Amino acid sequence: MTEVPKIVYDRLRAAGSERALPMRTGPELVHPDANLLTAFAEQALSVTEREGVLAHLALCADCRDVVAMALPAAETVAAPIESGGEAVPATAVPKTERNWLTATKFAWPSLRWAVLAAGIAVVASVLLLRPGKLNQAIPPSANPQVAITTPSASGPQIASSAPPSSPTAPSPTNQSALSSKAEELQAKSELAPSKKLKAGQMVTPSHQAERGMLLAENKKDSGPAAMLSPAPAAGAPAFDAATSRGATETVEVSAAAVETTSSAEGSLMAQNESQPVIKSKPALPGVEVSEQQTTGAAVVVAAPARSQSKDIMSNAKLAAPASSNIARNVTWTIAAGALQRSLDGGQSWQNTLHADHPLLCYASHDNDVWTGGQAGTLFHSADSGVTWVQVQPSIKDQKLSFDVTHIGMHGPAEIVVSTSNNEIWSSADSGKTWDKK
Amino acid sequence: MPRSAQSGHGADIATAFYERSGGAAYGVSAEQFAAILDEILRKYLPDNLAQSSTLNSAPASAEQKTDFCAGLRLEELTLARACAAGNERAWQDFISRYRQKLHSMALHITRDGAHAAELADSLFADLYGVNARDGIRSSKLVFYTGRGSLEGWLRTVMAQEFINRYRKQKRTVSLEEQTEEGVQFAAAVPEPACTSDRLSERRLEAAIDEALAELSSEDRFTLASYYLDGRTLAEIARPLGLHESSVSRRLDRLATGLRKRILAGLRAQGMSHAQATEALETDVRDMGLNLRSRLTQDPGATTFPGSRKVPAQDAGGGNNDLQKP
Repeated sequence: MTEVPKIVYDRLRAAGSERALPMRTGPELVHPDANLLTAFAEQALSVTEREGVLAHLALCADCRDVVAMALPAAETVAAPIESGGEAVPATAVPKTERNWLTATKFAWPSLRWAVLAAGIAVVASVLLLRPGKLNQAIPPSANPQVAITTPSASGPQIASSAPPSSPTAPSPTNQSALSSKAEELQAKSELAPSKKLKAGQMVTPSHQAERGMLLAENKKDSGPAAMLSPAPAAGAPAFDAATSRGATETVEVSAAAVETTSSAEGSLMAQNESQPVIKSKPALPGVEVSEQQTTGAAVVVAAPARSQSKDIMSNAKLAAPASSNIARNVTWTIAAGALQRSLDGGQSWQNTLHADHPLLCYASHDNDVWTGGQAGTLFHSADSGVTWVQVQPSIKDQKLSFDVTHIGMHGPAEIVVSTSNNEIWSSADSGKTWDKK
Repeated sequence: MPRSAQSGHGADIATAFYERSGGAAYGVSAEQFAAILDEILRKYLPDNLAQSSTLNSAPASAEQKTDFCAGLRLEELTLARACAAGNERAWQDFISRYRQKLHSMALHITRDGAHAAELADSLFADLYGVNARDGIRSSKLVFYTGRGSLEGWLRTVMAQEFINRYRKQKRTVSLEEQTEEGVQFAAAVPEPACTSDRLSERRLEAAIDEALAELSSEDRFTLASYYLDGRTLAEIARPLGLHESSVSRRLDRLATGLRKRILAGLRAQGMSHAQATEALETDVRDMGLNLRSRLTQDPGATTFPGSRKVPAQDAGGGNNDLQKP
């Protein structure tokens, strides 16, 4: 941040000092009342009023303090309800994510250099190892060779190193689709395809080193022998490694990450029937967990990809008990500012979501439920209210901040949200991107 | 029921919005609702300038009044006014919606459990109206006008109350306590050593004042919040409805622009570019030796919890209590 000379601080402060104020005339001298300050903080003032309040706030440190103190807490804590009906105190997941990122040295300040280094490594390795072949596709005949050789020689290892050593890996489209962490892994193992093609073997020293980095560090003593073990045995430590990075987060793979991984793995994974690892269709959280636990090798790839996901939905996802028994016939209602759910046709009701601000409306479509309330509160559940994700629609610098008065669903992914100031926000992709009218 | 000169428009508007307000559920009659709206319209949209008590002084048309009322939190307004009037059902709703939140708000503001409970209970008593004037309970909720959310208004009132209390508490701190806290007492403000230095400083101040005056209110608010109050980008961005990155870019742009304008102002006063740069760069205040701020202890400049103000000099916090709602 560019600093300004300290004397500018003094003059800014002097402009609002008691000695300077009597020389001023105009509405900025009047302290705005609590109503105006509240409306200012909620962007509910007219342009003229807002200008007047801002003119006062620029001079009055006390009123600036009031506005800052009166801001609601940044982290909305939503309490998903267990099927038993008792509220589980939920921690704010963004904070957990932040702590995890900080604790594991994967914070953006250091990671961005890793991304840059990975990019340089990709270019350097391609230039060094494949001079003059930058624009040539890999001969199609090489793919069957890899695919055939791999399962018989060392199937588990293929699974663990599948994305980096995928025949389609050099493709720019696939590279851009992968997250930065996956890109880094891909860059480091860029040596592998050429060596594999030359030697006809999948296991190379670089892969072992790569895999050693991917797996948990406390598995060092297992050495190469452990890596050559059958799929289930190799999968378990891989899963441990993935989960040990984020002890508090829900073990899951976002839909985007899964799709990316599966497409990157492409034909190699498809032909290895002993590794039915990842399906590209999204599943319930509970199902996802069980799949990953039995197919750990894929998690090694998917977990870093997920860790770099920019999807705000996954950042705000709340850990919730896995409920594989979600009733299809769910009835919803809003009562006393909370969203309630009935699983027995309205005979009994449970509080499902109670947000910071009172909820005002909801809409549901199969398992997808949206609910909105005051001050731009908007939550989405893709599993009939077991887990909730707070959604903050925004376009450029504008955010949805007014009361959500109506939600319409024209399909599982198409949402239309109306607000008290007659704004209409719509999304065609389950709230990932928004349009405003 | 008192009706004003503008109640012709007001009655029509009130009729249009009465049903939406849900006032009937809280025992607020259509006439009472019309009177409430009339009072609010007169406060914020006066028919003539003489009545103006707000920042907006232009006479308002009927359409403007209708639009204005459409933007009010009518349901929360009737709830608050019904509570102030002592309606039982309104109080039940108010307590179920906000009683618990008052405590969490207070905790958010004070960051201390004991003080939070005291502050929340005190505000709740004010909202209920324990103080009676002429035998009539006086509830603070009667000041709510529905411009923002009721919850936001409660937070703002609580923040004002906290700041007022904090200031009063600071005023009554004993000298011994101040000494224990390491406070030194104000000394005479050192004047610059020679006349030329003083002249140079005045030129610099004039150039800065001129550059600051050219900024918009929003820019000055952003600068003051960031550099004086030490607010985070997120804290500045939220009331402005901006993203943090926008505030960050704006601050960079402002700092760069200010520097250019100040230098241009100094050059306009006859300084060469080198002299102007030197005057700006070598100001003693930039060397972290701002003796004036170290020696001048202004109680109004002390920080509130949650803000990290830079050391104050000539702080203009003032000692008057904030305007009550």
